[in-house]
Amino acid sequence: MSVVAKVIAQSDRANRFPGSAELTQLQDYFSNSSVRLSAAQKLAANQQKIVDEGSKRFWAQCPNTPSNRGDDKRTALCQRDQGWYIRLVSYCILAGNAKPLEDIGLDGMRDMYVSLQVPLANLRIAMGCLKEVAMGLLSSEEAALAGPYFDQLVRAF
Amino acid sequence: MQDTITSIINPADEKGNYIEGEALDQLKQYFQSGAIRVKAATLIGSSAASIIGKTVEKSLLYGDITLPGGNMYPTRRYAACLRDLTYFLRYATYAMLAADASILDERILTGLKDTYSSLGVPLEPTIQALQAMKDVVAERVGSEAGQEMGIYIDHIITGLG
Repeated sequence: MSVVAKVIAQSDRANRFPGSAELTQLQDYFSNSSVRLSAAQKLAANQQKIVDEGSKRFWAQCPNTPSNRGDDKRTALCQRDQGWYIRLVSYCILAGNAKPLEDIGLDGMRDMYVSLQVPLANLRIAMGCLKEVAMGLLSSEEAALAGPYFDQLVRAF
Repeated sequence: MQDTITSIINPADEKGNYIEGEALDQLKQYFQSGAIRVKAATLIGSSAASIIGKTVEKSLLYGDITLPGGNMYPTRRYAACLRDLTYFLRYATYAMLAADASILDERILTGLKDTYSSLGVPLEPTIQALQAMKDVVAERVGSEAGQEMGIYIDHIITGLG
């Protein structure tokens, strides 16, 4: 769901046209769309770099973790997931809200990683490292849009 | 409900893709039209009652439908007609904001023809009123946004036809 869909759904529930605060919210959303696009495109172009550099920082802080035990298959799987989370953050930036992250990557996430025996506390550190690296690649305007979604991602773990 | 942004993100996610290529172009186009859409929604929302009044005046007011025996007589039915036209305007505005007609199918058109036929609401005057609504809206919001609203009002007309 996007910020536009959200405004429509809440207006519909109340049987009214979108209110002025909601319309201002949409106006703001559209007015910085070029920043949204450039932020999302930078994340797309640098996903591998963010994951590689993020992993280095993560393993430096947390060496004893499933992705750092010399099992290449396992490492690749962990890094693949990290790349997916970057992609979901890029969707959120474009959609103007966190629903893509919540619906695609957070709903059920804990159960999945518990079942995979990946410690959530470690993942939290890993996600923090992804954020750190990604923020360094974005302009301050882009980072201001992306930051809250990365924060939500970190918090979720 | 579906909107343009969601309908671009969901299929990309199904493939594990970022928004790129054609999908990105489509999204850019939507973003570029965003300011016009929001402005039109603001104008329409703030003058809905007057748009509906004018719409009725241009289409139904002087016809037999408002006379005894007509479907807009007595006042209770006149008011019901205003209410329905306001629904159509509101949902067309939602669809215009989203640049996606699916909310019309979900919330307005499903079962509407059956409901109207069971209530004896004639379709032809309803369509006439919707045609007039397009003109009235275009007068208020300008031709570019008016055309965009026209797409979704036409979608309702097609659904009734």
